[in-house]
Amino acid sequence: MLFNTQDLRVLKDEIEFIDTAIVPVVSIAFDNEVLTHANNLELMQLISIQLEKQLKGRLMITPAFTTVTDDHTSLIAYKDQLKAYGFKNVVSIAYQDIELDGLDHIRVNSIPISDMDNEMKISIINDEVKSVIKQIIGVWNQ
Amino acid sequence: MSQKVTRRQFLNYSLMGVGSFMAAGMILPMGRFALDPLFKESSASDMIATSVKVADITEEPVSVDFTFEQTDGWYVSEVTDFAWVYKEGDEIIALSPVCKHLGCTVSWASDASNPERFFCPCHNGLYEKNGENVPGTPPRGPLDMYEVGESDGFLTIGAIKENELV
Repeated sequence: MLFNTQDLRVLKDEIEFIDTAIVPVVSIAFDNEVLTHANNLELMQLISIQLEKQLKGRLMITPAFTTVTDDHTSLIAYKDQLKAYGFKNVVSIAYQDIELDGLDHIRVNSIPISDMDNEMKISIINDEVKSVIKQIIGVWNQ
Repeated sequence: MSQKVTRRQFLNYSLMGVGSFMAAGMILPMGRFALDPLFKESSASDMIATSVKVADITEEPVSVDFTFEQTDGWYVSEVTDFAWVYKEGDEIIALSPVCKHLGCTVSWASDASNPERFFCPCHNGLYEKNGENVPGTPPRGPLDMYEVGESDGFLTIGAIKENELV
């Protein structure tokens, strides 16, 4: 499910089935690394969309949680809110390691996709998504 | 037929002849342009060609990709979807991979204990090979299917419809 009114209406009725919230965490900054940030943001969007396609009925992909200074304290409040809403699992996806209580975390590789041709891009993203799906199923089987 | 053609008549005929060619030269292309949308409509709603040969399809379901244009608001993008395609007797069957429970993607024989069924990883939904949902699992209806056709030996995929095999 995606964060739009249509899916959120379904979510309200089916929260016992849609029990996992996915929070993509990305950082942005206008510094020397601005191109890397842009690439990472795009890659995260593509991964999220593909992930939603595969596991639509059990995942709620929230809008990307964007930080400027890698400060993840407000992520705790966000996670608590999601749990209070009824999600059994809250899973964050990021390029770095994040350790917070009650939050399952999946690390993905930062891949420079912007200069690749489309076919290569799709196959690399699918590989990344496959590994994320495996880890999500691991979270479900905990 | 000894009637003489006068100079006046000859000029009239030849002017009319040349004039009608010129008029036709202008009007016919315009007419073709005016009718063009009609011709275009019929070819756009046609079947989508895939890169899979009909002869290569077996009884084992395989995923077949097909690409079409999708409009989100005013943004048009190319979307690739796929169908599970297999042969039943002489008939080709293309099932939609979208789970009828909450819309996950189902896959063929991915659950080790159900090698001859479609499996949905989200809530362990199961479907028989013809798309019928297995009672006792979450899905409430059979998988949808696509219209199929053949063009130059290649499989084409058309509109989605309700399952007619169950």
